[in-house]
Amino acid sequence: MRTHPFRIGVVIAAAFVASIGAQITVPSTPPPQTRAGGSITAKAPSGPTPRKPNGQPDLTGVWLRRAGIVNIEQLLPKGETLPFRPETLKRMSQLKSQDDPQLKCLPVATPRSEPYPFRIVETPTHIFIVMEAVHGYRQVFMDGRKHPTGEDLQLSWQGHSIGHWEGNTLVVDTVGFNDLTWFDNWGHIHSDKMHVVERFTRVDLGHLNASMLVDDPGAYSRPFTLNYTAELMPNAELMEYICDNEQDAPNIDAPADAAIDAEKLLKQGNSR
Amino acid sequence: MRYQPFRIGGAIALLLLLSSTLDAHHSFSAQYDSSKPVEMRGTVTKVEWTNPHARVYIDVRDDKGQTANWNFEMASPNILVRNGWKQNTVKIGDQITVSGYLARRGDHMAIAGAVADATGKPIFDSNPDIAR
Repeated sequence: MRTHPFRIGVVIAAAFVASIGAQITVPSTPPPQTRAGGSITAKAPSGPTPRKPNGQPDLTGVWLRRAGIVNIEQLLPKGETLPFRPETLKRMSQLKSQDDPQLKCLPVATPRSEPYPFRIVETPTHIFIVMEAVHGYRQVFMDGRKHPTGEDLQLSWQGHSIGHWEGNTLVVDTVGFNDLTWFDNWGHIHSDKMHVVERFTRVDLGHLNASMLVDDPGAYSRPFTLNYTAELMPNAELMEYICDNEQDAPNIDAPADAAIDAEKLLKQGNSR
Repeated sequence: MRYQPFRIGGAIALLLLLSSTLDAHHSFSAQYDSSKPVEMRGTVTKVEWTNPHARVYIDVRDDKGQTANWNFEMASPNILVRNGWKQNTVKIGDQITVSGYLARRGDHMAIAGAVADATGKPIFDSNPDIAR
């Protein structure tokens, strides 16, 4: 029988699709039906750290950071305060609560978080951090590239992130932030010289320990480290968050909390 | 206008709830006045299932028989859903009672905390874990 080349192509394609299908892990039973988005009060599950076939920890999952949302100083080691430069205090003292970029539905960027979960997705070349808040995402290049330099480094909301593994810890190095975001609802700010090194360690099934080393000579007199633990949200999915009905900013006229702090520190002549 | 102070315990619980829920998005004290708690009963005229906040509008009749439409800010739909609400938990035409705080600015605006149906049964539980 004469085998048509087209048929051979179809057979090869079918075999290829079948082999891919065999590699995709599909749960044998569907996940339990829960209310959309999961529960914010559900306890993080316990168990050992999941690992990829190459032995590295598998960071994939839907995570929630609960701490340091209102005021990021809560993530500093006990007794530490943010080391503002004098010009940062002056700039901060002018801020109004209604100036918060996030209030106006602009992106949430490192080191800020909102009380909404994020999903970590790992591929061989990239790690994506998909944030529910304001439909944001970060892409971390895992292919060994370096940061662009000079004019090639374009300032952006999320910056330019490259990552690598150090043992069980994912290290993400980010530069190229614009200076338009706040650290928190309080009104702590930064400059476009900010450089952040994050270290993520999945210590067990339900907990992701993270530290953020923030070095911003344009706004702070020394580097500082922020620490938090994110919890895995069991059976949770990200929900849509389109910010299309903002009515708060036009109805607020008050100094930012950080502006009140800055005013006090300036009076005391204390730039930390 | 028909808004009355309600029980102090409830007011404190509500304030804690609202502070933790809303501070993530904006400062509670910058927008709402914790010294002006309100409780209003009225008919739902509109529900906006939107971010950053869901909003429930109710027609409220005052002691003189005048009706005004009030705009009550809620948590975000995402936070409400994760705490057991559904998109149609409150519908146009429903009679509800809302407890909350008056806005410092903005005409007929307030923040909603506890919400009860026409029989007084709570349909929104002041769960302090709502936001974190």
